[in-house]
Amino acid sequence: MAVMTAAIPATPLLEARALCFHRQDEPVFGPLDFRLDAGELTLIEGDNGSGKTTLMRILTGLLHAEEGELLWRGEPLHRDRCVGDIVFLGHQLGLKSELTPRENLRVAIGLHGHREHTDIDAVLAQVGLAGYGDEPVRRLSAGQKKRAALARLLLIPATLWLLDEPYANLDRTGIELVNRLLAEHIARGGAALVTSHGAVGFHGGEPQRIRMHA
Amino acid sequence: MAKWIPLWLHKLSSPPTFYAFAGKVRPWAIALALILGVIALYGALVLAPPDYQQGDDYRIIFIHVPSAWMSLFIYAVMGVSAFIALVWRIKLAEVVAMESAPIGAAFTFITLVTGSLWGERMWGTWWTWDARLTSELVLLFLYLGVIGLYHSFEDRRQGARAAAFLAIIGIINVPIVHFSVQWWNTLHQGSTVNLFGKSHIATDMLWPLLTMMVATKAYYVASLCGRVRTDLLALEGGKDWVRKIAAAEKSR
Amino acid sequence: MNHAPLAPACAALLRRDLTLAWRQRGDIALPVLYALIVSTLFPFALGPDLALLQRIAGGAVLVTVLLAMLLALDAMFRSDIEDGSLEQLMLSPQPLAPMLGMKILAHWLTTALPLIVIAPLLASLLHLPVAVMPVLLLALLLATPLISLLGAVLVALTAGSRRSGMLLALMLLPLCVPVVIFAAGALAAAQQGLPWIAPIAWLGAALALAVVLAPLACAAALRIALDS
Repeated sequence: MAVMTAAIPATPLLEARALCFHRQDEPVFGPLDFRLDAGELTLIEGDNGSGKTTLMRILTGLLHAEEGELLWRGEPLHRDRCVGDIVFLGHQLGLKSELTPRENLRVAIGLHGHREHTDIDAVLAQVGLAGYGDEPVRRLSAGQKKRAALARLLLIPATLWLLDEPYANLDRTGIELVNRLLAEHIARGGAALVTSHGAVGFHGGEPQRIRMHA
Repeated sequence: MAKWIPLWLHKLSSPPTFYAFAGKVRPWAIALALILGVIALYGALVLAPPDYQQGDDYRIIFIHVPSAWMSLFIYAVMGVSAFIALVWRIKLAEVVAMESAPIGAAFTFITLVTGSLWGERMWGTWWTWDARLTSELVLLFLYLGVIGLYHSFEDRRQGARAAAFLAIIGIINVPIVHFSVQWWNTLHQGSTVNLFGKSHIATDMLWPLLTMMVATKAYYVASLCGRVRTDLLALEGGKDWVRKIAAAEKSR
Repeated sequence: MNHAPLAPACAALLRRDLTLAWRQRGDIALPVLYALIVSTLFPFALGPDLALLQRIAGGAVLVTVLLAMLLALDAMFRSDIEDGSLEQLMLSPQPLAPMLGMKILAHWLTTALPLIVIAPLLASLLHLPVAVMPVLLLALLLATPLISLLGAVLVALTAGSRRSGMLLALMLLPLCVPVVIFAAGALAAAQQGLPWIAPIAWLGAALALAVVLAPLACAAALRIALDS
């Protein structure tokens, strides 16, 4: 019986059908088709200017694509339906430089909610920022800022992580850290879409890849 | 009601259809504006008798009043198309709203200048903080704000949508400004000027005024058609129908 | 899944903005200093004639405070846009309008409130009769949040544009006219010993409307301006 139910394809977490985006009638990307299930990682590859960041902003609902369909759990993606279930980490980290990482994370928890069984100190230690929790963010290095932003992902409850160039500004151990966090998130039943313009190796299986062309 | 009206409107709102439609309407509108304008001016400057109090000075109302009407009318058109643009994301409505703004601003400016000229003759000062003139000045600022916001964006459509929102805020604001300025005038006992007074306007003064009103409307339609056509070409530069037009132009 | 409830989210955001303002308290002083400078210049420009200064004092303080607010208005969302905090805010499971309401409140507390506090000083520099002082404060308490709320909508509209402070002033002017008229009207009436309740009541009514509508409009404007 278990085999029977497994054979029926569950509705994917996120599905794109013939998604296109134009800016002033110049095509930016598309048509693009992909699906993403819970417990899956997808890597979006493409050169600079191939529309990776634009795609990310559409998936967050910040940008509106006029052509194609975008389904969230089988229904058209709308802010009210997916809100709080998607977390986005972009080029701008969303950290206030005058506040400490701890204060920044507390605001994030206040706005987004708190993932169960996590606390700020443990998460800061996990991303390698133990001892930096009370230092203003502006005094941290670029890599440390990135780590502080990654800590936010761990603290707030969200199924889908949208990470735009998470490896930028990170050293080898930092890249390892991102991969480890992703693997743990996937193992928890989460899903992630990650953009990158370079090759990245993952633990635990080859991810799904989407190639974007300019 | 017949189903074809919404269908027709929907078809008309597609850029190539409207481009062709506006191209056909424009010459007729120009002709109408010119003919009626000349008739109205003849009626206003020659046929209409001088006013028993104001002499010939009053004749500026044949420009001033239609311009004032147009300044409000165009703002209303802009507001309605701004609303349509924001709610239904129709590109044509954005273009109509944004291309109406400079025409409306021009009419508002004409209203202010002619009002000021008339004021100088009538009560000896170029400017008075009368409720109507002040509201008109605020209207000019509203127009300029919409135009300025539209042009401050890199992305034209995004600018159009932001400026459309501003235009809608302005529609709510205009009556509030008018009411508050009126209240302010009674408070400060300023010179309240009644443009028409309670007197009846004679028929031979009225018809040139109404004809001029139609002429300015026709001019607005003509001007809008031309501007919208240009804008549609620029906005849809990459589309096939524009390429065809460009190719046809080149081969001529 | 436990989403954050609204009230703590509002509190978190308000505390964040107030903390930020406190850490950069030099910025709070700037509009205050500006208002002080402008008010000092009036007597030099008009002459120290007591009667004349008394006549213009109310309106002059009002316009000075308004211009000083305009100076700081531009910055309402700027840093949040630059560091991506605004994006995070828009993606949070909270309704955007009350969140922006909190931001506007924080902005009002850090820019307008200091101006209201020194307004009596500015007014006495221009010899405003002491009896009119309470009306001035009341008018400012109603007019400044109105300007903050209306200004926030316009700042949100310019969020995605190439920045221009002058454009903001141009856009704000038509919205300011009624506010200035009623606030100054109340002052003038009070100075002439006439009843001044009516214009104050109008300001209060407008403020009540704006408190409800402006955050919604602000949220809509931000969505439009950032849709790029």
